[in-house]
Amino acid sequence: MKLDGVAVLGVGMTRFGVYPEKSNQDLAREAGLAALADAGLGFGEVDEAFVGYIFAPPMTGLKAMKELGLTGLPVTHVENASASGLVAFREAAFAVASGRCDVALALGFDKMTEAGGGTAPGRDVIDSVILPAAYFSLWAMRRMHERGTRPEHFARIAAKNWNHGALCPWSHRQAREPVTPEQVLASRKVAEPVTTMMTAPVDDGAAAVVLARKDFVKKRHPDRPLVVPVASALKSECYTPGHTFLGPVVGPASMTRDTARQAYEEAGLGPEDLSVAYVHDAFASEELEYYELLGICAEGEAEKLVEEGATSLGGRIPFNTDGGLVARGHPGGPTGLAQIHEIALQLRGEAGPRQVDGARVALAHLVGGGSVCDVEILVRE
Amino acid sequence: MSRVPIEPGFFTVPDDPAEAPRLLGSRCTACGEHFFPRRVVCAKCLHLGCDDVELGPDGTLWTFTWVYFPLFGSRRADDAGYGVGQIDLPEGPRIQCVLRGGFGDYAIGMPMRLELEALREDAEGREVVIHRFAPTGGAPA
Repeated sequence: MKLDGVAVLGVGMTRFGVYPEKSNQDLAREAGLAALADAGLGFGEVDEAFVGYIFAPPMTGLKAMKELGLTGLPVTHVENASASGLVAFREAAFAVASGRCDVALALGFDKMTEAGGGTAPGRDVIDSVILPAAYFSLWAMRRMHERGTRPEHFARIAAKNWNHGALCPWSHRQAREPVTPEQVLASRKVAEPVTTMMTAPVDDGAAAVVLARKDFVKKRHPDRPLVVPVASALKSECYTPGHTFLGPVVGPASMTRDTARQAYEEAGLGPEDLSVAYVHDAFASEELEYYELLGICAEGEAEKLVEEGATSLGGRIPFNTDGGLVARGHPGGPTGLAQIHEIALQLRGEAGPRQVDGARVALAHLVGGGSVCDVEILVRE
Repeated sequence: MSRVPIEPGFFTVPDDPAEAPRLLGSRCTACGEHFFPRRVVCAKCLHLGCDDVELGPDGTLWTFTWVYFPLFGSRRADDAGYGVGQIDLPEGPRIQCVLRGGFGDYAIGMPMRLELEALREDAEGREVVIHRFAPTGGAPA
């Protein structure tokens, strides 16, 4: 089924950060109310909701939704690791596109600061020896071996995202002075060649997106440019030669290429059409790989792209204008919805100092453990 | 001291500590593809039916890193960090696991051999072990 006749009606989020005094329900209420206010909508008009989180206990999505009201609407939990928020968005968009409802809410929240206490039983014991930082560093080390990539390339990407984050009110990390690649390289090492400043922080937060039928959105906000989801692709792993089953954090890198290709085909657009892109930079080294896997440049050209500053604000194709996972943050469930939040502002021309001139086509990408990859493409109409 | 695996079903623990362990894998009875760990349905051709096989102990280092944290679940005295790598087995699977040695000991393409690392003692005084690969001392291919 194609995504058809759907538009973003409103977006809202909390600033990502460390909130020991707030519960998941508190964060969800804040983000949900912000999105409803932006949509110009009362909760009573929401027909259906999709809730994404990773770390909170079962039922938390239903409990969080009660913070907004008890209207009897269907609430569906969506858990797809780091991609949960984007998949909640996808399901909400299809719920509207299918004609099943007129208005759907996608809500994500998490408190990663309270996750990871205690060891999971069974198979996870042998699996838990390889940390995400180690896994993505394995990619980075192989890349350095094959392409001569230097840690400076990863550091430049991290510094860019820190500096983008400083311009974004919802970003967890907001450096007072411009961050340099040298500072990034000098921060504590996590796993060769990745340093703490190349790594997403551990944080809490929530984000929400309201989707509705296009005519509904036009009527509610006649003066706003329409933000329209045009393609959604979600894939799990395809078997590859030399496949790794035990201990990996996400599947083969080709997942991103395959998922993006499917989304581009569905949208009738290509990487050359993108104005702005948002990717899973839980580790800045990943972002470099995604430049190629998303087709932004040819294989082996990603380092040149970094050296040219092409993916910084003001460059040819800015990536992670809100700071990405490295700066804006990565609580888990809300991460993908924060990407859509920033995309909506960019396509509406409301991104302030981060505005990409004439932004027309945007891509959001997340990978998640297990493994999944989700790519969403939105356009301004 | 008797040795027990961190979890059963992934590798052998030979009675003789000098003997190399093997990985417990599968081979599809239809297409012959090898897997680690064990599977019931072939991941390549979807055939229902795999034979149990033992894989390793020899492989080649595909990539590696050094983690600057103590090894999770280990009482290793050396907490300066640990190596992690992906090792290609001649049978096909790529194994992701802990490595023996220091960061400077590794090079992509070097021959590696499977062994066991003692993580800690369990409540019954047995040594809890996990599989790891170690450089054989051979040159990278």
